[in-house]
Parts: sequence; C-alpha cells; structure tokens
Amino acid sequence: MKMGSANASSDLSSEVEVDAFRRLFPLRFHERHLLESIRPDARPLGKARDTTLALGAVASADGSALAKIGCTTMLAAIKMEIMTPTTESPDEGCIAIDFHMPPICSPIVRPGRPAEAAPVVSKQLSDTISSSGMINLKELSLVNGKAAWMAYLDIYCLDADGALFDAALLSAVAAFSHLQIPVVSLNDDGRIVVFSEENGGKLENEPVNKEKRKLKLSRIPFSLTCILHKNYILADPTAEEESIMETLVTVVLDSSFQLVSLYKPGGPVLAYTSAVQDCLALTRQRVKELQKILNEAISDMEVD
Amino acid sequence: MAGKSGATPTTYSPSPTTQNKKRPPIFNDVDWVRSDARGFQQCRPAFLRTGAVNAASGSAYAEFGNTKVIVSVFGPRESKKAMMYSDVGRLNCNVSYTTFATPVRGQGSDNKEFSSILHKALEGAIILDSFPKTTVDVFALVLESGGSDLPVVISCASLALADAGIMMYDLVASVSVSCLGKNLVIDPISEEERYQDGSVMISCMPSRNEVTQLTVTGEWSTPKIHEAMELCLDACSKLGKIMRSCLKEATSALQE
Amino acid sequence: MITVEKIIREERFTGPSRSAPGLDREISALSFPAQSQGMVGLSFGEQHFIQGGIAQDLRSDGRKRLTYRPISIETGVIPQANGSARVKLGATDVIASVKAELGKPSPFQPDKGKVSIYVDCSPTAAPVFEGRGGDELSAELSTALQRCLLGGKSGTGAGIDLSSLSIVEGKICWDLYIDGLVVSSDGNLLDALGAAIKAALSNTGIPKVQVAASAPSDGQPEVDISDEEFLQFDTSGVPVIVTLTKVGRHYIVDATSEEESQMSSAISVSVNRQGRICGLTKRGGAGLDPSVILDMVSVTKHVSEQLMNKLDSEISAAEACEEES
Repeated sequence: MKMGSANASSDLSSEVEVDAFRRLFPLRFHERHLLESIRPDARPLGKARDTTLALGAVASADGSALAKIGCTTMLAAIKMEIMTPTTESPDEGCIAIDFHMPPICSPIVRPGRPAEAAPVVSKQLSDTISSSGMINLKELSLVNGKAAWMAYLDIYCLDADGALFDAALLSAVAAFSHLQIPVVSLNDDGRIVVFSEENGGKLENEPVNKEKRKLKLSRIPFSLTCILHKNYILADPTAEEESIMETLVTVVLDSSFQLVSLYKPGGPVLAYTSAVQDCLALTRQRVKELQKILNEAISDMEVD
Repeated sequence: MAGKSGATPTTYSPSPTTQNKKRPPIFNDVDWVRSDARGFQQCRPAFLRTGAVNAASGSAYAEFGNTKVIVSVFGPRESKKAMMYSDVGRLNCNVSYTTFATPVRGQGSDNKEFSSILHKALEGAIILDSFPKTTVDVFALVLESGGSDLPVVISCASLALADAGIMMYDLVASVSVSCLGKNLVIDPISEEERYQDGSVMISCMPSRNEVTQLTVTGEWSTPKIHEAMELCLDACSKLGKIMRSCLKEATSALQE
Repeated sequence: MITVEKIIREERFTGPSRSAPGLDREISALSFPAQSQGMVGLSFGEQHFIQGGIAQDLRSDGRKRLTYRPISIETGVIPQANGSARVKLGATDVIASVKAELGKPSPFQPDKGKVSIYVDCSPTAAPVFEGRGGDELSAELSTALQRCLLGGKSGTGAGIDLSSLSIVEGKICWDLYIDGLVVSSDGNLLDALGAAIKAALSNTGIPKVQVAASAPSDGQPEVDISDEEFLQFDTSGVPVIVTLTKVGRHYIVDATSEEESQMSSAISVSVNRQGRICGLTKRGGAGLDPSVILDMVSVTKHVSEQLMNKLDSEISAAEACEEES
C-alpha cells in the first residue's frame, strides 16, 4: 500500500479520524486550517498565545522571572558576582548569558547530549541584549579599574513548545527589571563583600553602591517569531507548527519600535519584502502587548 | 557574550556564605528553634502539582519551602540502539541542578550519585514487565536547592510517573531526617544539612509498607536509628496521602 | 513478513556469525558474559538449587548462611604507596592503596584534612566491566565506601579522623587518596573493598612533618617532610562493612556472584568497634518491610563483631609476615 502518495492521502482523508489524519499528513492537516484562516489551537494566524510573566520566582538569585508563552516556559535568573574589569574598559561590568535546554523540557533532549538549538538561542540572546543597548555596562562598575559586577544570566527552558527565543528574551528582560543589586562594601583585604549592618558598620567599610540598587533599563527589546508558509504568516508558532513549516522570521524591536535585529535563518520559503513588512507590523502589535504584560508584572511585584 | 567577548574573567560571589564555616553552637543545645520556626518533627508545607511540562508524557512540580524541583517523564519509548534485548522495561534516571540552585553559582552539572539513588528508589515500585523492550526516562531538574533535595526529587518523580500513566505498585514517598547533636530534625533545610552529624533517608511505598531505598550516614546507635526510621516512615505515609490527593485533584479537574 | 522482534530474537540465537563486521565486536562483547560466567544465564534448575540450598542453610559451596569464605590479607603490596593491602575473599580479589599528599584544606573545614575514595573495576575482573561497563559499578562502590567510612557532614561517625590529618590550620593538611582496584570479581565487592581499605590504612605510615617556625602569617608556611620518621595511622575507628543479601526469605553474608544474581535486595551496613552504625546503603530494587530492615541491621551487627576480630588477626599476621620478609 502506498500511503505516502498524494492520491492515497486525498482518498484516505475523508475516512480517517482527525487524530490519525493529523499524525499521518501533518502538512495537509495544517493547510486545511490555514485555508479557513484558523490554526489547530483555534488562534487566528496573526495572534500570539496567552502570555504570563511572574517576577522573583527564584529566591536564591538576585533577579529572576518566569515567562510563559502558551506552553513554552522559561525560567531566567541572574546571579551577581564580582570581577576585575579589563584594562580596555576599567569602568564597565559584564553580562554573561547562557541558555539551557535541560532534558526535562523536550523529548528530543537527552542527558549528556545538549540540544542543537541551545547555543544558537544563547548567541542570539547575547547579541540582542548587547546591541539593543538596554543596559549601560558602566552602571555595573563598582570601583574604577578594581572591581565591577559580572551578571550571570542563566535561562532554563522548562517546557519547549515553539518560539523559544521570544520566551527566552521576555524572561531575560523581565529578570533584569526584577534585578536587585546587593549593597556591597570593600573590605580590608580588597575584596568586595555584601554589606550588612552588623559587621560592616565600621567607618572604613562604607557601602560602595548605596544608590545603585536597580539598573536603568532603556530601550527594552521584545521579539516575535513568525512562520512563513506559502502566502501565510503565522505568528508565535508552536513546536508542532515549527516542525512542519520550517521558514522562520524573528523580528526584535525595542520599546520605541526601532528595529534591533531581524533573523531569517534560511528555510525553503523566500520572503518578499512585503511579507517581512507584515512580520514587522505584527511585531509592533506584539511589542505593545508585551510591554503591557511586563509593566503589569512589575507593578504586581511592587504591590506585594 | 554581551559586553566584552573572549574568555570569561574569574569572578567570585560577594555573599559571605563561603566564609561562614563554623557550626553555630545552637545546634548542640538540647532545645532551639529552627530558622523557619518549625517543630523538630514537623515537615515543611508541600506544594505538589502534576502536568507541569506539556512536552513530556508526564510531569510534576514540587515545592517544599525553598526546595523546588521539576520532574519530567518520557516514554515508554524506544531503548537506545546499543541496548540488548530485554523482556522487562528499563528505567533511566537523571538528576541535574540549575546554575542558580545553590547560594554560590554552580556548574549546573548532572548529579551522578542522586541519579543512581533515584533509580534505585523507583525501580522497585514500577511494574517493569508492563513495558518490555522499551525505556522510561525520568529526568529531574532542581530549580532551587533548599535542603532535602533528593527526597523531594524522589517523591516528585513518582508523581510524574503516575501522571505519565506508568504502572506502579504504589507511589514512592521519600523523607529524610538529620541528626543534630541530640536532636532528630525531619525534612532538614540546607543549613541544617550542612552541619548535620548524620542523616537517614527513606523512600517507601506507604500503602504496602515497603522500603525501596534507605541510606544512612553518620554514627548511629540502634535505638536512635529505630527512632529515626519511625519518624521517616510516619512522615512518608502522611506525604503519600498528600500525593494521592494531588493526583485525585488533577483527574477531577480534568473531568470537569 | 519479519517483525523487528523476530529479528532481535534471531540475533540472540544465531550469535554474531552473520552480522556486519562493525556490529560483530559489539554483539560478541555483549553475549560474552552469558557464556563465560553463567550468572546471567543460570538455568531454572541452577536457580532453584541455589535458592533451595540457602533455604536449608547449606549453600552450594558448603557454607552456612552467615559464614564468610576464607579471607586472606597481604599488606604492603604496592611499595610506592604509603600503605596498601590485597584482600582475597574466595575468588573475589581486590587491592587498596593509600597515598598521602600535602594539600590545602577546604575553606569550609580549615582544621581538617581531606580524603577521597575512588574505586576502579578492572576490565579483567569480569567480562561485564569491559569498555565502560564497569563505570556505573565503580561510581556506586565509591559512593557507598565514602558513605560508610567518612561519616556525616560534621565528621561524626567517620572511620578516618580528618582532624588528625591537619598540619597547619587553614594552610596545609594531608590529602589521603584511597584507591580501590577490583582485580577479580566474584561477589561481595563492597565488604572486600572495605576490608582492604582497613588493612591498607593500618599499613599506612604518614611522614612526620616539621613546620618552619618563622612562617609568614599570610603566605604558605614552609614544611620539612621527614624521610625516616613515620606516624602510624590510627585505624581503631575504621568500621567494617557487612553486606546482607536477601535471597527468598533468608539473608546470607558474603554472596558469590551466582548468589547475587538471585537476590531481591541487599543492605550494606558499616559497623564500628562500639557496635554503632556508621553508614547504610540499600541495593536491589525490591522493597523491604521496615521490620525486616531492622532485623537485618541487628544481624549485621552480630556478624560484624566476628568479622572485625577475624580481620584484626589477619591484618596483624600480614604485618608480621611483611616485616619478616
């Protein structure tokens, strides 16, 4: 029996159950939906999934956030450590970003064999956050030429269901807006230690960063990933959609809608400029939503 | 890296935990108050939820105080190619930590010892005959380490297995007890574990009253070990009830 | 039509003869233990014989349930190490060596030395250890030995007194590297390794160290290691490890690998001279009733006394033998 041929599938399609059809002919299943301008999870093509954000999820970190876009879940946490600044930029701190896909997040990741996507997203995040200019690295300086903050941002994907970069970026910027920098002082050995009233109250150990507890975030970047398939544009794809229709476009805009970056890593569909412009328009819409979600999360945090 | 590319410079944590190494004398006293104001024989409130990870066949999230773990179960699925034919199913366990789980930033590597104890604690409870030739993967991620990490991982893993519909004889509940001076404290937090004289960890199937895994460290007299085991088993049966009700809630929510 | 299952079955029966050259080695390696050792492929008759013997307190090699195989101990087998011993327990053969090196104490415990225990299963000890097959067992034995010998986090119940290894607090201490090597495996590895480590430690001489008086307060103090004078390591607190293997309804000590293949579960308890429990590890998947565990623990305590005395006399005999030669 030739199950794979086009004829067989059209004959079969009227008979088999929906679930079987979805598994056997995933592309046709999705294209049928697209014809009706709807997606299998009942979303219109241009709509992103429900998005939630919770700040301060990890007590052992200096800043943390849990972001959920549909089922895709990201946990980001920042740990602040002390480093000696480089001689080229003695008045700047540093940010180290790492994106992890632990084996819990997806059936395709196994222990000891890291996911291929992880380093790619890691690099994209680093590039986006540094080029957006969201954080002024000079703010991370403590003692000029001697000590500065190194912010370790680790993002763990807890549940992978498509649009990983969008969720990771959202959790990253939220973790930075939650970040509370510890008050530190310079001790007699020349090391930076956390300032506490009991043992650091002596005159020579005044805190060095009393005023700088929060980072000033300017031009926060937000992103939206879309799938291009034929003439359709699907915003915020699920893992299933990503595996079936392979051309992705990720647009990153900052809060004043300036373009930070635009990725289209190949794929079988070549995009007309108009399609890219449509993606941009969808992203503009999405940035407004995400900004609102972030602001609400911050004000929720302040109420608590 | 954002900022400066190239090799990451060496850094250190400004928090004083590394310097603070002497055991607080309070633990030697007969009577003291635990830092979270619990009684010696009182467990932390447990928060359990199944279905935390959509991509997995089954999953569970557990939160005991500051200890937070997620366990995903995948399978039964095809065994690795190199594996020999086996007429019973295989169980594969892995426990790892996030880099921010501990007060001082860690490497986020796999914990081999915990993985092997988790395997031993679960294998006796799973009906391996029910999925021959295939493998069930149990992966745990400790999001935050707040003490008694391994018992929480074990309990959470058995919930995740139940959520995945893997056949088991019973749920596995696990509790540990620390010995500090003359006192036995149940469900210890990280600080208590750091200074403990000894510990007993029991994993058991509460309704069958069977111990699947037991580890003891430190020096124990026979009456003391009886007392510690008694405490653990009692707490395990209570935890087992909480786990059961968590599963019931999940299914009744599904039916509605 | 041939199903996948059928192919696998055929593979098992026909063996490696017709497989592709690349697969050849893998399959022959996998099927090897079944032929050579018989423990994987015990027939029902053999299984029944072993279980029945244990139930009647007469094991296949003529022992009772709580009798050990003959133990032989040889000390000082590795001249380069600070202490070493070889223990043979029937066909099980293990070597332990102790190497002492100067190191820096951990910032968490500045007044203590450090001990690391590592076990390696030689690929020649059993066919299943070939390639990476022994890694998992090595790791399991290492952690079990650490749990049994090093006590709790605060150091209580430790067989090895870590504070005796301190030289200058916070600056210098002895690091003991204890390495176990399984040369030949016929069951009960943990007990044999525990005995070998105990013997190796009592064979260990740690050089006397002279600390220069005029040491700068912040830098590393200078030390002078003596070539002649050695301090005998105090092993009176080192516990012995007794593993009770449960086969059917009965427990046996010192199980051979054939007997281990029939076990439902086993517990290893380390007991010191005072009869206190210093560590406990459970192996095997099957669950145990708590009262059975407590019963097993009391049996191990009883057995450990005899084993402790036996080991002590064997060790002193071995030491005397070594001095003569």
